Amino acid sequence: MKKAQPRVRRLLASAIMMGALSGPAALFPASAAEAPATGAPPNLDLSAPGVGWAGFVAPKEPNYAVARLFNDFAGPASGLGPVTDGPAHPYANNEVAREMRIPPTYRVADLDNASGKNLMPWVREALAKQNELVLRGRNGETREARCWETGVPAFHLNPGVMQIIQTPREVVLFLTGRERHIWLNVPHSANPKPSWYGESVGRYEGDTLVVDTIGFNDKTFVDSYRTPHTDKLHVVERFRLIDGGNTLEVAFTVEDPGAFYQPWSGTRNRHRVMNPNSRPAEFDCSAANDDYFNIGLEPVPTAEKPEF
Amino acid sequence: MKVVGVGAIGVSFALAAYCAASFAADAAPDISGTYWATSYSPKIQVLGGGDPPLNAAGKAAYEKNQAGLKDGSILDKARRVCVPDGVPRVLATPYPFEIFQVPADQVTFLYEMNHQVRVIVMDKPLPKPEALIVDPKYNGHSIGHWEDETLVVESAGFNDVTLLDAGGLPHSDEMTTVERIRKIGNQLEDIITIHDPEMYAKDWQARFVYDERNDVRLEDYACNDKHRDLSGVKGVQVR
Repeated sequence: MKKAQPRVRRLLASAIMMGALSGPAALFPASAAEAPATGAPPNLDLSAPGVGWAGFVAPKEPNYAVARLFNDFAGPASGLGPVTDGPAHPYANNEVAREMRIPPTYRVADLDNASGKNLMPWVREALAKQNELVLRGRNGETREARCWETGVPAFHLNPGVMQIIQTPREVVLFLTGRERHIWLNVPHSANPKPSWYGESVGRYEGDTLVVDTIGFNDKTFVDSYRTPHTDKLHVVERFRLIDGGNTLEVAFTVEDPGAFYQPWSGTRNRHRVMNPNSRPAEFDCSAANDDYFNIGLEPVPTAEKPEF
Repeated sequence: MKVVGVGAIGVSFALAAYCAASFAADAAPDISGTYWATSYSPKIQVLGGGDPPLNAAGKAAYEKNQAGLKDGSILDKARRVCVPDGVPRVLATPYPFEIFQVPADQVTFLYEMNHQVRVIVMDKPLPKPEALIVDPKYNGHSIGHWEDETLVVESAGFNDVTLLDAGGLPHSDEMTTVERIRKIGNQLEDIITIHDPEMYAKDWQARFVYDERNDVRLEDYACNDKHRDLSGVKGVQVR
């Protein structure tokens, strides 16, 4: 890892240079149809061979604080953060359970802390219902575990390895069978078709990839507590390398005037892992995910009949 | 004399190909972009016409699949729970797909339908049979290399739960395929050779052609969702 650092710094330095040179291009955004087909990828080249970004790397010694972020957002340094667990029902994810040798739990949202009070009444009600289900031992699995598209920012919660492909036209994020497209240096469409991951447009601000996403459907949750949102959801993510290029920081802000009184923020860091065989892979979630034990699991996405 | 002349031309072509190959790292042909078929056939069309050369075991498996799909005892998982289609059925997709050639050591096919990813690992051998047998994939394991302007893709290590087409054409987990993929003007051609002696009396081929459509963006796809308009793809009958 250490040996790789100088190279990463050089890449970063050249990336920043390129950013400075290509900056004015952002002033003249091309339409999707006119996306450049050739030329070097702008700025951060996150798609180097063998590079993956792990949501979690197990520490050598048990470490509660690290394990706690196995599949969760970190809160912001200041201001409102994501919905969390509370003192009444501390959450122990599988990694916490493994490292601390305690039983794992499902998530119960704290509706009385600042983030809980930031939820509009219908969102609080939805979460209260979900809490009640979980406390009865039902529906505790995440949306992702039930093979649904996760949406944004919940996409980032998966602790697995994310691969990135970057071209002049777009950045594609691959994470355990899910993909997101970030269209570079183009404005939002006038009326984006509502979708699971919304319409993401990205631009570089120096060494930071800034991604603005709107045009969501209202079928996803913003987190693993199953916090719902409306189609007014708007997420801004800032991707940048920190820690000498070994950590990809994704800092995001969520606003939804139909669900949250105030915008809130969070962070999800991913760790650089080198593996020559680290490549996007096919994903088979729904083939073996029936509710075998009849514990009220949400059904996997299923078409009643073949589409064509 | 004429024969010698043709031979000499052949040698010079081979030399040119060799030279091109030796610079492949810098000058791999560019097939990246977004593509979309203009027609769809639920029954795979054999190149040269006729029916796939099923052997006795293949015929029995085909009849069983057809009957099972009809009476519901066999679930078309690729269409009902949206698992990957498998090769070659994924090549018949009436949805757009995108090809990436970065990083340089892989060619990535990303399909909108069932958001399938096929990564072709370039200039490496296939994993050994004992490695493939414990890690079967819907779309198999694929390696590739360039022969002039053609991407040659070899695949093996398929699971045995996919169908070769919507009608239930069978295959075994011993199937291997070779695809020759190239740009012809603004189209992409993929000619696939199916080798599966357990089900077929001899190798056979199918040909798929797609229009380059860099004006199209891949969309999110989830099972049972409302998807994009396929009215521009001949042969699709949305149910």
